[in-house]
Amino acid sequence: MSKRIWQHPDVPATEQGTEVWRSIGELEKTPQFRTWMEREFPAGSGELSEEEREMSRRNFVKLMGASSALAGLTLASCRRPEAYIVPYKQGPEWIIPGKSLYYASSMPRPEGAVPLVVTTHEGRPTKLEPNRTHPNGGGTDAFTQASVLDLYAPNRSRDILHNGAKASREDFVAAMGEVVAGSGKIGFVFGEDDSPTRSRLVNDLGTAFGGAKFYSYEALAGEGRKTALAGVFGVDGANVVADFSKAERILSLDSDFASLDQQGEVAAFFRGRSAGSDDYKHEIDAKKMNRLYAVESAFSMTGGMADHRLRATPGEIFRIAAEIGRRIQIKANDPQLGKILNEITPLVFAKTEEKDDTWKQKWINACAEDLWDAKGKSAVLAGTRHSEGLQRLVVAMNIALQAYGADKPLRPVETDRKGLGSLGDLAKDLESGAVENLFLLTPANPIYDAPADLKFTELLKKAKTSVHLGLQTNATAWASTWHVPAAHYLESWSDTRTAQGTYSLVQPMILPLYGGLSELELLSQLLSWKDAKEEDGAPVLLTGEGAEGGASPAYLEVRKTFAEIGGEGDAAWKEALKNGFAAESSYKTIDLGAGMQLEEQKMKKAVAAAFIDKPASLENLELSFATDGSVYDGRYIDNGWLQEAPDPISKICWDNAALVSPKTAKDLGVYERIAQLESSTAAIPENGEGRDASAPLIKLKVNDKVLEIPVVVAFGHADDCVTVALGYGQGATDDRQSAVKLDESKPDVGLVGRNTGFNAYPLRTSETSLFATGVKSEDSSKDSYPIAFTQEHHAMYGRAIAREISTSDVKHQSYEQQLDNVVKQGIDSHAPENISLYLPKGSSSFEKDKDKVGNLISDKIHQWGMTIDLNSCMGCNACLVACQAENTIPIVGKEQVAMGREMHWIRMDRYFAAPKYERDDHGHIKTEKVDGKDVKKAAPAWISDNPELIPQPVACVQCEAAPCETVCPVNATVHTEEGLNTMAYNRCIGTRYCANNCPYKARRFNYFDYNKRNPLIEGNLYKGPLGETKVGDSTHLQRNPNVTVRMRGVMEKCTYCVQRLEGAKIKQKQVQRSKSLAAAGGSTSIDVTAEDLRVKTDSVKTACQDACPAEAIRFGNLLDDKSSLVRAKGSKRNYDLLNYIGTIPRTSYLARVKNPNMAMPGSEYAGQATIHMT
Amino acid sequence: MANFFPRWTNPLPLKIAVCLGVLGAAVVAGFAYYATPKAQRVGYQPSQPIPYDHALHVEQLGLDCRYCHSFVESSGHANIPAANVCWNCHQHVAKGSPKLAALRSAVGVDVDHIALEGVAGEGHSIEWIRVHRAPDYVYFNHSAHVNRGVSCVSCHGKVNEMKVVYHAKSHSMGFCLDCHREPEKHLRPLEEVYNMNYNAEEYLAQNLIEGADGERITTQIDFGRHLKAHWNINPKESCSTCHR
Repeated sequence: MSKRIWQHPDVPATEQGTEVWRSIGELEKTPQFRTWMEREFPAGSGELSEEEREMSRRNFVKLMGASSALAGLTLASCRRPEAYIVPYKQGPEWIIPGKSLYYASSMPRPEGAVPLVVTTHEGRPTKLEPNRTHPNGGGTDAFTQASVLDLYAPNRSRDILHNGAKASREDFVAAMGEVVAGSGKIGFVFGEDDSPTRSRLVNDLGTAFGGAKFYSYEALAGEGRKTALAGVFGVDGANVVADFSKAERILSLDSDFASLDQQGEVAAFFRGRSAGSDDYKHEIDAKKMNRLYAVESAFSMTGGMADHRLRATPGEIFRIAAEIGRRIQIKANDPQLGKILNEITPLVFAKTEEKDDTWKQKWINACAEDLWDAKGKSAVLAGTRHSEGLQRLVVAMNIALQAYGADKPLRPVETDRKGLGSLGDLAKDLESGAVENLFLLTPANPIYDAPADLKFTELLKKAKTSVHLGLQTNATAWASTWHVPAAHYLESWSDTRTAQGTYSLVQPMILPLYGGLSELELLSQLLSWKDAKEEDGAPVLLTGEGAEGGASPAYLEVRKTFAEIGGEGDAAWKEALKNGFAAESSYKTIDLGAGMQLEEQKMKKAVAAAFIDKPASLENLELSFATDGSVYDGRYIDNGWLQEAPDPISKICWDNAALVSPKTAKDLGVYERIAQLESSTAAIPENGEGRDASAPLIKLKVNDKVLEIPVVVAFGHADDCVTVALGYGQGATDDRQSAVKLDESKPDVGLVGRNTGFNAYPLRTSETSLFATGVKSEDSSKDSYPIAFTQEHHAMYGRAIAREISTSDVKHQSYEQQLDNVVKQGIDSHAPENISLYLPKGSSSFEKDKDKVGNLISDKIHQWGMTIDLNSCMGCNACLVACQAENTIPIVGKEQVAMGREMHWIRMDRYFAAPKYERDDHGHIKTEKVDGKDVKKAAPAWISDNPELIPQPVACVQCEAAPCETVCPVNATVHTEEGLNTMAYNRCIGTRYCANNCPYKARRFNYFDYNKRNPLIEGNLYKGPLGETKVGDSTHLQRNPNVTVRMRGVMEKCTYCVQRLEGAKIKQKQVQRSKSLAAAGGSTSIDVTAEDLRVKTDSVKTACQDACPAEAIRFGNLLDDKSSLVRAKGSKRNYDLLNYIGTIPRTSYLARVKNPNMAMPGSEYAGQATIHMT
Repeated sequence: MANFFPRWTNPLPLKIAVCLGVLGAAVVAGFAYYATPKAQRVGYQPSQPIPYDHALHVEQLGLDCRYCHSFVESSGHANIPAANVCWNCHQHVAKGSPKLAALRSAVGVDVDHIALEGVAGEGHSIEWIRVHRAPDYVYFNHSAHVNRGVSCVSCHGKVNEMKVVYHAKSHSMGFCLDCHREPEKHLRPLEEVYNMNYNAEEYLAQNLIEGADGERITTQIDFGRHLKAHWNINPKESCSTCHR
């Protein structure tokens, strides 16, 4: 079933020399990769396996027999089935059946709340959009988009548990009565988010219970950072928020600040990336564009955006920071930085002999110099989970760089999070008996994720009563004496603050589905139970609403807090509720008049602890515990959307793995096993991508702890260190070693989280919360583990797929010349111009009848189009998950993903590109004489080992001359007058010809009825109608009622959220009614113009566009000159994907711009990572 | 070799072929007639939990369609009214009527309109039986049509004369496309959309509407073309108009 191979043109000589790959198989050009490139779907996805064949044949015979027998029975009673319309008894205010309602709310998060607009259909929240009218409203990330699924998760906790057994509400209230009446030695553990009402209740609780103590804990919170900032600024609860709009030079020290380690609004950073363009009114101004330096071990999404990236092990980061600091200090001569460096000098510099790689010294020099030159507009950001010592050093560096202040890149703020101890403090208090009763209100799961040295399981037993409030019955729920199902944030009243501190409201969209209790409700009721009098009768547990249908206690508490912040009275409250925030309520800036507090003793200790004496080596590997882009710290383990979203960097679904650099993999002797290097004539091995993809298992040893985990090669990773994402391996039923064993009677995870990944938490202690040193690797087992990679799936051929230019001269071309040449990259300078049939502009062959041509085939009001700006896209998956939520895209499970059957309409391609050969000034590859022969001159290893990462989201590009349409035998995919390439699902018969003919590989086929048959139950998909049809009891409530649920055997793809477009057009049509009502002569006297019927400029947004935190996607009407889409299409960076094959796509891309510092070593290679796939 | 088959069997294959042909044609003809929406849907007239009489309410009492189907102008769905809308009148009218048992149950009162203890908000909603049912993959939008001059009558027939509502038109895809191709047959002034007894000729006799050529318009077709031009009505025939 291989298809005709398109002979793509050669890459122009001047653009050669950069090696481009997606996966190790492609880099090593294994024959199996070739096969998959040439196929519509990866091997096996279109065919039945032996098992499936067996299954389906047997099932077919069985079902045919059964159905013909039934046919005889049912024919006699063949009647039209009755359907019912059940209207409301009492029509609720605002609800119009068939129309969605929107509410402002926010999602509390440790890095600052995300302001949201929640879409509800007849009371069901179905989709989350960012609240862009909020002063801190940017986009959303994948976690936010997927959080709506958590509300309907099949395994949500529904019962109160007492020692693991179901208990009644009365029992719980009675137990709490004893707690509040008791000694008062109560401990409360909160999450890392900030809630003003909670802070107020903490005060009240402190007064009511003399012995009450408060802590905050989340597994990935930076304890060192909190201590350091509180110390140096002299304020408890101090934090530093970055304002990227004021930062022109940014150095990230292992901080993924754009995505997983946010330290302020990221939208401003991306605006800084395209500075001066002012929403595409101009081209990017090279002088105003920000410049990003990144020092990190594994590629992060931020590192992928960096102009200059230095690979370093986590232990090396402190040393590099100190070196940069020392160079800044030479210029700045800052006394405090001086004192810290004095401490560091004997540690670092005495041992750093000049033998250090000179390019690295140059890198550090040039970086420090650039930061200093832009002082006041430059900032250094350290990873929030890094050591206290690094945090102190970075604060001093930023003070020297004059980065702090209300109008500076960094703003030190005073948060409400005061008087909260750490988990370590809690351990001491539990040990000493200072805390007898414990309330675990944090979203973390300490039994699973607390540092191993605390032995939290033993500690928890010391508490007389422990109450766990959580959405799921996770490990902590079973280990606590009480577990209470928590209300989701879409079910409860609360308030929270954004990173900048704007007071934002959280309002419920629906009553708790399973009677969940919210944190504020619990705290408030604890207080009221304490004050309860005998004569009031037995107290009851209120959840969702108050007594006799009144307002929830949480609502009353939030109102009380709001009165202090936003003002008294209903008017202010209603306004805030409508907007989602209270105006001008951001955090107080800490005045740095007197500089920072040096705290010499603490500083000395912290600096000494931060310094890693022994550099990493093969015998002394460093193991970095990374935040995971899918499950975060493990809390999203049961979220199917996130689990199936491929990791942005490694492209692994449903699992984690140990990431190592190619060099380390070779040193460890696993590279060949991973790559399965074969000559092109060798038999195709079983291993590789597709259904048989697997990775060898290795054992990582830290002290006496062992982690057995599959190892994969991660490009751009630092050598001699291993990165493992946390949060996986929470419940295993198979024989994997490094995971929590699932107890079927007390399951820690639901079906989604079962048998996913490996648990790295046991290797992590309080001291080594970010990384461990002295790790040994052992490749003792010869086993391998199946892994679902998507990196080679739907691989695309072509020239100049993703394009890149530089603000500096490349091959004697200035930035302006490079801009002009974007459209000519690859082979496009030789391709003839494509003539659009759909835009009403006529063609020369229809000279006489131009208007008629336009009338016949196109709509004059709307012509839809899209641009995706690769300069802003970091590849974070927010669009992918948003699309899934909007368009009811099912998950298919790990086995199906491995076969290439994932259904995501947006495919997040991720390319690596590294210079392979040295080039002369004109871009031609240099040659040198070796043994008398001319050989291409290889680029130095430190250049070619440090590839660039280029993400590119690809969905259907809505070709005007669509190859898919011409091959559909039933006209199920046809063009609309408005330029959409639409799918009539009910017409599709599943030939898959269209997908075969799609050069962008943008079409997805429903091999099974994924929406109806739960793909996570083993073998369920193959049981046909006999299989389990339910996926939980409420997930269907999330579905968008405006989108058809596709069934088995149907092709599907992106249609630019056509349901939103039609909705907007229909809404616009109401203009006729309002015009008629206004006109004296009634409807027959009015004229409705094309302008009246045109949807307001940029008012309709696709789901991906709305979600994008980088504002990289523009969508709109090509016929509307005011649209920012039209401006984006007019940019010189605009180019069509695979332009030379003449499909005339409506989605176009904007080239990436690198802003290199020419003083940097290797900068001459920057801005040339244009992707040619051969 | 002896003849296996006697002579009379010679025309048999032809006879069988003709019979099969006739049978096949009959099946096709039968299917084409009986298995289409025209035969299957038109005339469907289920009995409702409350025998609501449109003829009585519209013709005798003069209720507008939008009194009950209140969101038809703004939403895709022409909603069935909530019980409290019926109760607006029926708390006073036809008290205790056995026909209204389902309504009283929804509102939570007994036959004498005395609130039932403990049933407040717990009563059963009225389960109306759906008469017009579009398939799941069809996204018909009422507001898009009534705001553009297509009357209820065009698709639902003269509901104002129905004592019991029945399916009057086929609602097949062909039915939709006929009108999308020739909307002029159905367009009428927005003021007349909910007038079930509208007659274009009568309307045009009473109201002077002049065409582009300055002549008085007298027929529906001419009037429809006139409105289509002035209102910029270009109904789409592409799939995504109704299927998403």
